[in-house]
Amino acid sequence: MPSIRVKMITRYMELGVILSIIGMAIVFTYLNPRFASLSALSSMVSLAAELGIMAIGVSFLMIAGEFDLSVGSVFAASSILAVWLLNAGMPFIVAFLAALGLAAVIGLANALITIKGKIPSFITTLGMMWFIRGVLLAITKGFPVRLEVNVPELAALSAPILYDLRISGLWFLILAAIFHFILTSTPYGNWVQAVGGAPETARALGINVAKVKTINFVLSSVMAALAGLIAMSRFKVVEPVAGMGLELEAIASSVIGGCSLAGGVGTVAGASLGAFLIGEIRVGLIMAGAPAYWYIGFVGVLLIIAGIINLRLSRRE
Amino acid sequence: MSKPKHLLEMKGIVKRFGPIVALNKVDFHVGYSEVVGLVGDNGAGKSTLAKIIVGYHQPDEGRIFFEGREVRFKSPADARKLGIEIVYQDMALVPYMNVYRNLFLNREVYKKVGFIKILDKKKMRELTKKLLEDIGIKRRDPEMIVGKMSGGERQSIAIARAVHFGAKLVILDEPTSALSIKESERVLEYVLDLKKKGISSIIISHNIYHVYSVADRIVVLDRGHKVLDIPKDLATPEEIIDVIAHRLPPEELQRRTRA
Repeated sequence: MPSIRVKMITRYMELGVILSIIGMAIVFTYLNPRFASLSALSSMVSLAAELGIMAIGVSFLMIAGEFDLSVGSVFAASSILAVWLLNAGMPFIVAFLAALGLAAVIGLANALITIKGKIPSFITTLGMMWFIRGVLLAITKGFPVRLEVNVPELAALSAPILYDLRISGLWFLILAAIFHFILTSTPYGNWVQAVGGAPETARALGINVAKVKTINFVLSSVMAALAGLIAMSRFKVVEPVAGMGLELEAIASSVIGGCSLAGGVGTVAGASLGAFLIGEIRVGLIMAGAPAYWYIGFVGVLLIIAGIINLRLSRRE
Repeated sequence: MSKPKHLLEMKGIVKRFGPIVALNKVDFHVGYSEVVGLVGDNGAGKSTLAKIIVGYHQPDEGRIFFEGREVRFKSPADARKLGIEIVYQDMALVPYMNVYRNLFLNREVYKKVGFIKILDKKKMRELTKKLLEDIGIKRRDPEMIVGKMSGGERQSIAIARAVHFGAKLVILDEPTSALSIKESERVLEYVLDLKKKGISSIIISHNIYHVYSVADRIVVLDRGHKVLDIPKDLATPEEIIDVIAHRLPPEELQRRTRA
């Protein structure tokens, strides 16, 4: 019965991305049998972690009906701030919280400009993206910012634990589970879906639309900062152009995972799986011996396919 | 304390949007268990008045009393707390969400674990099933996506939601405009059911005959002014239509009814 199939897909929006992950796994295993190993799986999770954590925040905001294109710049800005503070001898926790705090302030600014200024968040956060990037390039004069002190606490962000699995991979899985739970199983998650799906209805039913959006803008930004800190803890150096393009990959992850650009539709699990799929393709292409640069082309094709499927599904609604 | 005369009373309501005066010194009231038909041409101010009652808009001037107490709603949440619910024509429910999530939107049933509120989905599904049964929707699947249901089913669910949460006043904004004849009849029956349950309602519609079939009293707005406020029995639907279309001066109709 086709109606049951449609119901399955619309109820379990992650189905499409799960099938893609399995399909790709079969192809990559055919190309290189070592692909089907725990070691490869753990490196996929670790590779996907930074993008995935960012995609969690971006999708959570997207479901509430708003975009955040500034996450790539926040990724760089917050980790550069953390490196400066650490180099100045500040304790890890201060640098860590300051980085997240900076991100929260940027998220709040995005929210206030979008809501009070009544302009699309696409514009607000595109402007914010360039503004922050410009400031970073101006201050650093384009040079990378290096961590000059030994900070043992950084291990908590990204130390390897097993095979190629890093702690960051675990953080990604834990955060994905927490945000997915908030979205599907708490009153707040219900409001997020309503605010994105039908803001006027949400408002009429007494939901504080501006508050929900503001909280999600802040979360999106803070998650991006967390992703940036994880990258910094791995490389101990931050380029002022770090995270460039990552905002689009995060949006792509969300769309591949079933999120609608119009808001109201999608899940955090889907977006996280979308990020994982991108990680899978990266690892798979490397293991298949293809130049790593191919992966972004793959992601482009996948995004278009996901977009077409999403549109077909929404038309059937 | 004696029961106040009216459930809802509004005095001298003025609402401006920039240079436009949407409502100009409108007095309006709704009695207990009363169905008031609010009619008028496009731009008459019907929806603005409704949105003020439910706290969506705030009036620039005027006073509002609910159950005898003066109220000043800052948001729809305030009005909902007192038992005022509105059912909009196409924005009553969130189309992408399922029935039970819609029914309990912003009134979720949850269990508290520490400081975390966890949705009690089982309870919400059960209550939804019962509610769907009560309003005679055959497909009783609480997980059905609302966007796939018919307009009549959606209206029924929205009204049932209002009743379930103990509404005292239900405002129906164009409840029948997108419905088939049969579905319209059904929704109008619900309005009469509300009255039987002691719930007052305001029905806003372009279809005078629909309003006429359920209302006790008809109020006509015309470009922000209240021009007529008349018990249904004192005027025919055709006369009301003539007043709205400016073919019959309201004073003339009132003179007729007095005679």
